[in-house]
Amino acid sequence: MTVDMGLAVGGLKLRGPVLAASGTFGYGTEVPLLERRALGGMVSKGILLRPRAGTPPPRIVETPSGMLNAIGLQGPGVDALIRDYAPLWASWDFPVLVNINAESVAEYGELTARLDGVPGVAGFEINISCPNVEQGGLYFGNDPRAAAAVTEAVRKRTRLPVWVKLTPMVTEIGGIARAVESAGADALCAVNTFVGMSIDLNANKPRLSFRTGGLSGPAIRPLAVHLAHQAARAVRIPVIGVGGIMRAEDALEFLVAGCTAVQVGTATFVNPRAIAEIHDGIAAYLELRGYSSLADLPRYLARD
Amino acid sequence: MGVVSMEAPEIAATVRAGQFVNLGLAGVFLRRPFSVYRVDGDCIEVVLKAVGVGTAGLLSMLPGDLVSCLGPLGAGFDLTAGPRTAVLVSGGVGVAPMPLAAREARALGMRVTWVHGARSSEELCSEADGDVVIWATDDGSRGFAGTAVDAAPDGDVVLACGPNRMLAAAAERWPEAQVAVETYMGCGTGVCLGCAVPLKRGGYDRACKEGPIYRAADIDWVTLPAHLPYAITA
Repeated sequence: MTVDMGLAVGGLKLRGPVLAASGTFGYGTEVPLLERRALGGMVSKGILLRPRAGTPPPRIVETPSGMLNAIGLQGPGVDALIRDYAPLWASWDFPVLVNINAESVAEYGELTARLDGVPGVAGFEINISCPNVEQGGLYFGNDPRAAAAVTEAVRKRTRLPVWVKLTPMVTEIGGIARAVESAGADALCAVNTFVGMSIDLNANKPRLSFRTGGLSGPAIRPLAVHLAHQAARAVRIPVIGVGGIMRAEDALEFLVAGCTAVQVGTATFVNPRAIAEIHDGIAAYLELRGYSSLADLPRYLARD
Repeated sequence: MGVVSMEAPEIAATVRAGQFVNLGLAGVFLRRPFSVYRVDGDCIEVVLKAVGVGTAGLLSMLPGDLVSCLGPLGAGFDLTAGPRTAVLVSGGVGVAPMPLAAREARALGMRVTWVHGARSSEELCSEADGDVVIWATDDGSRGFAGTAVDAAPDGDVVLACGPNRMLAAAAERWPEAQVAVETYMGCGTGVCLGCAVPLKRGGYDRACKEGPIYRAADIDWVTLPAHLPYAITA
């Protein structure tokens, strides 16, 4: 028996439920082809309208069962992405979503307009964990109205799938989830990294030059499963679970908790074959349980 | 300092001096990078000091134990035929890429001067494969009293590896030297952008991909942090 791992999620057809998370797979050109066979899709490293150098080192630090990072959206800007990477993506056999970042609602819209229609760009993932410069640096993702405004600005400029990556640093994720659903999102990704800090006791200062960083890895998994579950209960659109997935069992937790697909990020740093192993592990599990497709997997999802 | 030998035929067959492997160690989450120290048949060696649980665990492994080894990674030293003398300058565990560098330099017909320094004679590595060998210790307990940079002669090609502070001093003296820098590292494969090396011309690139070998004058040494262990040090 062969298990059908294909699925449709948020406007895209995928050959499997495991995607590469933004910022952990570059622009798809670094990880060897061998490791891409089981890739359901890829979300690009976050891009801005203009090039950005990123934060000074140290940018990463290991923490118990995880890591903090503050890369600072280092990237070549949207023009270079369109010129250097999109043409490659157009020939690949899995969809590539572009993770978009901006400091104002108008800028999110402008970035979307630039990318819409570019061959190779299959959809958008909005990073709403950016500071809103027009609102004194408050994060878009912490405010349902700001999150909805960004989603709407992107939605207006493209007919491609629009996914919104939710921040966990909120008091009620369901409210944000419903707000971006109403604003036209096709799917949600839950969740982005948690903000954390680590102190160097030799220097009596933070280990990261940026002071704080995003916590990822297995340390956040139970928190992420809970938040993804909360988001999935709150909306009708699909939720893509992300946060500390290292093995197939971890991915299955998110799926049973109500997610339609998953993203794998930090695990790829430790094991470049992680995505393929997780994909194969899910298929083996479904087969062992006698399920013929992903849709047969029982979901624990009491709706609010 | 201890040496660990691993059977890794594919890496042994292709590794170049200055390249590294990223090892998965028990008790820590991220892999840890190690320059390939020596190659012997199908085996590669790494040299290390126990600075935390990961390195302590690696040093206590027994023959036959398995370790996850990713490599060879990064770009190696750029050694081409032509120059007649190569000066290898290393400090402490920075000796790591030098045995392979000495081997490659000699294969190209160069005369190799090996200068190795440490804080004291106990911390000096015993490896020395050069036509001329110079030892240096900060406390004067063996050889030249002072740093490896101060003890070294000039040469057509200078290769240096050691603490970033030492490399900054090497950069002052030999702007054209090829230096192997130490950074915190995440993936080792170029995707996480965690191992940023600040460049004089502005911006950063990746120690794991474009590096870890750089032209000394290209690095912004003021912004490149010292690479410290996580453990509390005296």
